[in-house]
Amino acid sequence: MINGSAEIVYDLSAGDPGFIAEIKEMGGEELLECIQCGKCASVCPMALAGFPIFNKKLIQAIFFGARDILLDDSSIWACQSCNRCTEICPRDVRPFEIILAMRRVAVRELAIPTLSIEGLKSLYDVGHAVYLRDAGQTRLKVGLPETPPTVLASPEALKEIQAILDQTDLREIGLFPMQGNGMADASEV
Amino acid sequence: MKVGFFIGCNTAFNRPDLEQAVRFSFPLLGVELDDLEGQSCCPSWGTMPSVDLAGWSAVSARNLCLAEEKDLDIVTVCGSCYGSLGEVRHKLQNDPSLKEKVNAILKGSGRNYRGTADVYQSVGYLCQNIGLDKIKQSLKYSLAGLKVALQPGCHSLWPSEIYPDREEDSFHPHMLGDMCRALGAEVVDYSRLTDCCGMGGMRSADMGKSFDLLTVKLNSIKEEADPDLIVTGCSSCLIQMDTAQLPLNKDKKINFTIPVLHYMQLLALCLGAEPQKVAGLAKNDVGAVINKIRGDGNV
Repeated sequence: MINGSAEIVYDLSAGDPGFIAEIKEMGGEELLECIQCGKCASVCPMALAGFPIFNKKLIQAIFFGARDILLDDSSIWACQSCNRCTEICPRDVRPFEIILAMRRVAVRELAIPTLSIEGLKSLYDVGHAVYLRDAGQTRLKVGLPETPPTVLASPEALKEIQAILDQTDLREIGLFPMQGNGMADASEV
Repeated sequence: MKVGFFIGCNTAFNRPDLEQAVRFSFPLLGVELDDLEGQSCCPSWGTMPSVDLAGWSAVSARNLCLAEEKDLDIVTVCGSCYGSLGEVRHKLQNDPSLKEKVNAILKGSGRNYRGTADVYQSVGYLCQNIGLDKIKQSLKYSLAGLKVALQPGCHSLWPSEIYPDREEDSFHPHMLGDMCRALGAEVVDYSRLTDCCGMGGMRSADMGKSFDLLTVKLNSIKEEADPDLIVTGCSSCLIQMDTAQLPLNKDKKINFTIPVLHYMQLLALCLGAEPQKVAGLAKNDVGAVINKIRGDGNV
């Protein structure tokens, strides 16, 4: 459980001066309130599990403008979204929002784990990010109908989900083909 | 009393015995469930929240709309659903421009998000709205003589400001313990109560690190509390703690097995549910626990 990762050396001259503004724009609005006190790191499961870049270090790296270094590291995707950091932060930085903002930056550079792409595709195709094909049998085993009363049982609801997702940045980013029947999108290039 | 049941992907497809437990227990305690037909993924953290704030909010807001259009609140057994829906609700309450964007996206579907539906997790909802006394009075079986260790789950606790059923002190939670004691169980303490189970993004990113994190927690539970059962407040904790013990034993990281149930499964059993339906998909044998609950002299 000890952090066995190599130390990261920052080249301060290579910093991206627009990075702080980019993170704020993507949802990390309270970034500059951070005084690097480390309370967030003290409660972070990622820090405990030994991922090299956890909340406090992420924020520090953003201050340095270390955009490329952060894009090369996948730690942010191991964040549990648990919000211990948000709860404990004495400055209301909301560190989890900064992790999400960094993920949004990474996604636009197509630096995104395969599992997330699969989840997004599944959300678009069937309305559930987690979907197990043989789930019907599992459900029958405990006496439930094969199909739950969710979007799975409602083609109209699926069209609605796809129409919503068609209006998000997902379409522009282009992680997977979005060809739902929900909207007439034949003109899409 | 009526509430919208937000099932959640993992519960519907992976642990529908937990779905059955909710469907069995709530009506017996006087709460009718509405299916919120057409509900989708919350959506979970590694998907839309990581891509686009307005897009995430729109998918969640549509789910919230399904409840508010029927003038209902939402209850879920999944920490991620609770967190994702709850966070969006909180953001839309405090950010008029985001709400405007979301409603522009939803307009094509003929929906308009107002913000009247609250989001609860199952344990908090029952604790607040039904109360310990009514639960005690409704039981067919008691957990007398059963030692349980608790796993409240991250999302049930933090960030506490967004939740209607929050703990007084989220780093020292007591709701799940109170609810287990109401069933007659002895709740045993251990030092890593609020540690993370390792499910979620971490498990997807690095299963080894995720399992190592859980190993520390499981050892703390075994050495300090040695319970008959682990009781979770979250479906993700249930899946992680139940399934991971098999490979952890195989890899000799641990040398014990502790059965795991979600609180709603335990409650359903105490209310007289058929064990196969409400706990039939547990990976670690829960037979001994069920026998203890339903055994002679315990009716």
